[in-house]
Amino acid sequence: MAELDGVQAEPAIEGRGLSRSYGGVHALNDASMSAVAGEVHALVGENGAGKSTLIKILGGRTRADTGTVSVGGREVKFAGPDAAHRLGVWTVFQELTLLPWMSVAENLMIGREPRSRLGLIDRRGMERRAEDTLAALGAEHIDPLALVEDIPLSQRQTVEIVRAISYEPDILFLDEPTSSLVEREVVWLFGQIRRLRDRGTALVFTSHRWNEIRDIADRITVFRSGRNVGTFKELPEDDAVTLMTGRRLEALYPQRPPPPPAVPALALKSYNARGVRDVSLELRKGEILGLGGLAGHGHRELFFSLFGAEKMIAGTVEVGGKAVRIRNPREAMRHGIALVPEDRKTEGLLLAMSVRDNATLAVLRRLARFSILRHVRERQLAQGLIDRLRVRTPGLSNPVGALSGGNQQKVLLGRWLLAEPNIFLLYDVTRGVDVATKHEIYELIMRLAKEGRAIMLYSSDAEELAHLSHRVLVMREGRIAAELSGAELDAEIIVSAAVRDRIAT
Amino acid sequence: MPKLSSRPPCVIELPPEPRAVSDNRRPRWVHRLAQEAGLFLAATMLGIAVILYCVVFLIAQRHLPGGFELTSTVNSTLPLVLAAVAQTLVVLTRGIDLSVGGVIDLTNGLAAITLDGSAWGHAGQPGTGSIGTMILGSLLVLAVGGVCGLINGLLVTLGRLQPILVTLATLSIFQGIAIRVLPQPGGAVPQGYTNLLANPNWPTSVLWLVALAVMWWMFRRTRFGVGVYAIGNDAAGAAAIGVPVASVRILAYVLGGVCSGAAGLFLAATATAGDATAGNTYTLTSIVAAVLGGVSLFGGRGSGIGAIFGAFVSSMIVNILFFAHIDPLYQSFYEGVFLIAAVVLVGGIGHLLRRRY
Amino acid sequence: MRLVDSARKCRFIGGNEVSKLLARRSVVQLGSAGLLGLGLGGRLSTPALAAATKPYKIALSNSYIGNKWRLEMENVFKAALQMEPFKSDVKGTWFNSGNSVSTQSQQLSNLIAQEVDAIIIDAASPTGLNGILHQAVSRGIVVIAFDNLVTAPGVLSVNVSQFDLGKTLAAWLAKQMNGTGNVIMVTGVAGTQVDLDRNKGADSVWAQYPNIKVVNRYTGMWDSSTAERNTAAVLPSLPKIDGIWCQGGTDGVLKAFISAGRTPLPPTAGECENGFRKFMIGYQGQKIKGISIGSPPFMSVVSLELARRILAGQYPKKSIDLPLAIVTDETVKVGETVFPDQPDSFFDDFTDSGPNAIVKLCIEAALSGTPCPGTLNVNLPAA
Repeated sequence: MAELDGVQAEPAIEGRGLSRSYGGVHALNDASMSAVAGEVHALVGENGAGKSTLIKILGGRTRADTGTVSVGGREVKFAGPDAAHRLGVWTVFQELTLLPWMSVAENLMIGREPRSRLGLIDRRGMERRAEDTLAALGAEHIDPLALVEDIPLSQRQTVEIVRAISYEPDILFLDEPTSSLVEREVVWLFGQIRRLRDRGTALVFTSHRWNEIRDIADRITVFRSGRNVGTFKELPEDDAVTLMTGRRLEALYPQRPPPPPAVPALALKSYNARGVRDVSLELRKGEILGLGGLAGHGHRELFFSLFGAEKMIAGTVEVGGKAVRIRNPREAMRHGIALVPEDRKTEGLLLAMSVRDNATLAVLRRLARFSILRHVRERQLAQGLIDRLRVRTPGLSNPVGALSGGNQQKVLLGRWLLAEPNIFLLYDVTRGVDVATKHEIYELIMRLAKEGRAIMLYSSDAEELAHLSHRVLVMREGRIAAELSGAELDAEIIVSAAVRDRIAT
Repeated sequence: MPKLSSRPPCVIELPPEPRAVSDNRRPRWVHRLAQEAGLFLAATMLGIAVILYCVVFLIAQRHLPGGFELTSTVNSTLPLVLAAVAQTLVVLTRGIDLSVGGVIDLTNGLAAITLDGSAWGHAGQPGTGSIGTMILGSLLVLAVGGVCGLINGLLVTLGRLQPILVTLATLSIFQGIAIRVLPQPGGAVPQGYTNLLANPNWPTSVLWLVALAVMWWMFRRTRFGVGVYAIGNDAAGAAAIGVPVASVRILAYVLGGVCSGAAGLFLAATATAGDATAGNTYTLTSIVAAVLGGVSLFGGRGSGIGAIFGAFVSSMIVNILFFAHIDPLYQSFYEGVFLIAAVVLVGGIGHLLRRRY
Repeated sequence: MRLVDSARKCRFIGGNEVSKLLARRSVVQLGSAGLLGLGLGGRLSTPALAAATKPYKIALSNSYIGNKWRLEMENVFKAALQMEPFKSDVKGTWFNSGNSVSTQSQQLSNLIAQEVDAIIIDAASPTGLNGILHQAVSRGIVVIAFDNLVTAPGVLSVNVSQFDLGKTLAAWLAKQMNGTGNVIMVTGVAGTQVDLDRNKGADSVWAQYPNIKVVNRYTGMWDSSTAERNTAAVLPSLPKIDGIWCQGGTDGVLKAFISAGRTPLPPTAGECENGFRKFMIGYQGQKIKGISIGSPPFMSVVSLELARRILAGQYPKKSIDLPLAIVTDETVKVGETVFPDQPDSFFDDFTDSGPNAIVKLCIEAALSGTPCPGTLNVNLPAA
């Protein structure tokens, strides 16, 4: 752990004493950071530590209440992203800014479309140029004609990155660029980052995946509670976690309970859904069953169809040894199945409603029996939950949308805990969640398993699967391609099982 | 590079993806269909409506509709077509313009007193304006439409007010001004002007229709046009990539106002006179036409050409009911049923299409 | 005729083939080419006028249908069609378009396409339909407007003089007030010719009585509940009212007076709502002095008769001004000019009354469009 002091080179971009508050809450409080040309600078910190706010300010998207921004040593005031672009400052924001009902080509070329002789936009030419741009930057697998809405999330993120890179920026901010990329695209992105760094671009990026930071960062700046707490050339993960959370964290992954006896909770036989082919599996009580594989290979469809949110096509489903049919989420809940999706903003929470309402949504029917007592009881339940899960919220009646990502995820998990289901389908629940919250979620999963609940877990993080699961099933093209257990529970083995076919060819 | 952890890197290097990706790309038309689903469905719907109309007409009249039917249909639909395009421009930015009817009232009233020069004391007989007064009058009317749009746009953009509230208020204001401009129905549009815009004996209006479609086609290929769509897709996203959101939005309202002004002109031309209340119904019917034309009220999706089709679908519905001898008391009922059916069709088929591909 | 038809058909198909050829082009071009083909193929010249033969095709094109007056107007029209001589002489149809000028204009062009002999119209706009009506007239169709008239040249009209109506009401009121006192004016729908004319008529009377003061002038929208609401809103600020001049919704105005405790009710000049006339014979504990004149709903039947006679060559092509049918508290008669068992919003002058009645209709005709027994004699003024 070697803290830097003094300035070694003229910073390409620098923010000093930046503060910004939203409705009285300090998102950023007297924070400073700088990046020099030809370096990759990682920002780390818990959700809500101020990283995204800082990037928004430096990228020209929001203005700081106080503090200064300078580019190339000269102080600037960005009127908007446009002004930042003119100075060669580009940003890939965490929430995607692509226009969903327009084509990839239109999105890539907006504002610099080729014109025909009449001065009108030459759409064919634009599409050709988009195709060339994608190809030149190694993203030729993306169809420039496709609507953004119709391509998978990982490709959208890639397009967003391609768009920023294609401007050959001098300073590039990437806010959690890898959170929705699949492994292959992460490799691609890091290749691009290295290329840009070598030609002198200052790159700043954030991530919650420590191995990524370790792989690519030249410097690391740690944020806590809206302020930078240190910049380092080298920083071991454990130290980083201590800096980020302000307390020491024992091992990130808790001890998993011993493998349970073979009492089946959920069994699938020749299960088919859209994108899921002939899946047979058994999930035992108290077991944590991991599902691994590349994104887009049927996990999502398997989870969502099991929960009745998508159509099952053929096969049998047994819950507790009895064959059942699940046609909609309500029936799934009746059979004790709960689904926690990764995209909490669109699929799980009612963002404008209060923490309490969101937490107790799944058990309202049960509460309703208390009639008058309902509100009191609802409050108690919600409060108990908030305490147990250590959700950081100003109050029960605050809208859930105002919480940070990790805390939103905890509310969503908590909602299901109240409903006491026997089978949990956890779909990439730790995506975009900071390390401390991750740890809390892991502990919760272990506790649930110890209570004898069955857990099916999908994660885009192979390491997480390796550490949490009793067994891991790897899916490829909708089928189960491999079952790993014991010593095979290793991130590298999981990833290579997911892509084995490709490596073979 | 920090070298600290004992854990092996999780990300392993993979060979590049095989290059044969373009093989599984969908053909161009599929993408066009996905992007312009509303437009294609509106075209289909119009095709069905025209066929249905021809059938009921043939049964009722023992011959197919001819020149008179075409000319009068296009003449009487053109104001709605323009109103629908005006509405579309605003709806595409995720707004809505309830003042369309008020702007048409105002511009229609204005047209009746300016085209023949009577507003500035032109010496000739009422209704016998010179070419000069006609051109001047037209430009004035279009400009007034644009100013109305500008007021809406400024209030929405700079006042950060909801479009529905702003335009509801300006609707009343424009209606009030319209009554002042033309307190009682009247005025006169020069015959030559009517012949140019909406000739009852020769389908000049079809040429205007084609011109309008071409103008839309061009609009869609300007930075401004792309900006309008971008705002409707996601204003924040558009701003992040450098679309000047405020000015594009204001300009969309202005252009919408100009289109409404043109609707007022054509209404005056077909009627040969002005009526400061004749535009009122266009607020609602322009929204209906836009929706029938596949324009999403959530913004960002749809096309002015679709709105043109939508306007014709709604006038075809009137004609079909007429020749099908539906009891007039139930006409509005059936119009409603058709509308819901059409909207469900657009939504449902659009959804299916997207799922298929 | 058949030759013409088939030629038309061929060209129509030709238009479609053009579009097929262009099918690979954009949708815009396809659509416009198809329309253009259709247009060029069609008949563009005015056909020679054919003499009308019985039964005459006469259509009623009505705009708005949302009030009692329009319903009664349409009901008596329907009833008349089922009575002789119309039953055998006329093949009648009726259409409503709502207040949309473009819908009514389209319906009119459809009527032209149907080659009707005569069109009777209650217009959505006095000017907005001029273009299409001009075409109808130039094709030799007899066009008669009533109630909401149009300014198109060549269109005949059947109406009462709205100016005289407003004037007569005001003159009676001035007499009742002995030429002095406070009056309120409840006007109609702004921007319509009827509203303007009635107000002008009244104003011409007030000009002669310097001691009559119009203390307030507000719209009742020809609607009883609106009139009641607006009256209730202004009443508290008004001095003693000695006379009410009301274009429509008269019963609503009186009810607002009663609610405000402004009784006894002043002399009232108003329309012919049944509710208003009930006050003339004693209603809600009040009995008033009043005069009631309206545009009679039977104007549709008079227009029908005018069209029939013109088509039969028995009457010159000229407009008709109906005499005002005046009912006062002295002449009002239960079962003839007031109907206590009908709702207040009912219009009592669906039929004319008295010895010189233009037309006499039974109440069933007005209520449900059922024909009255016997033949229907419409006494048009001597040509």
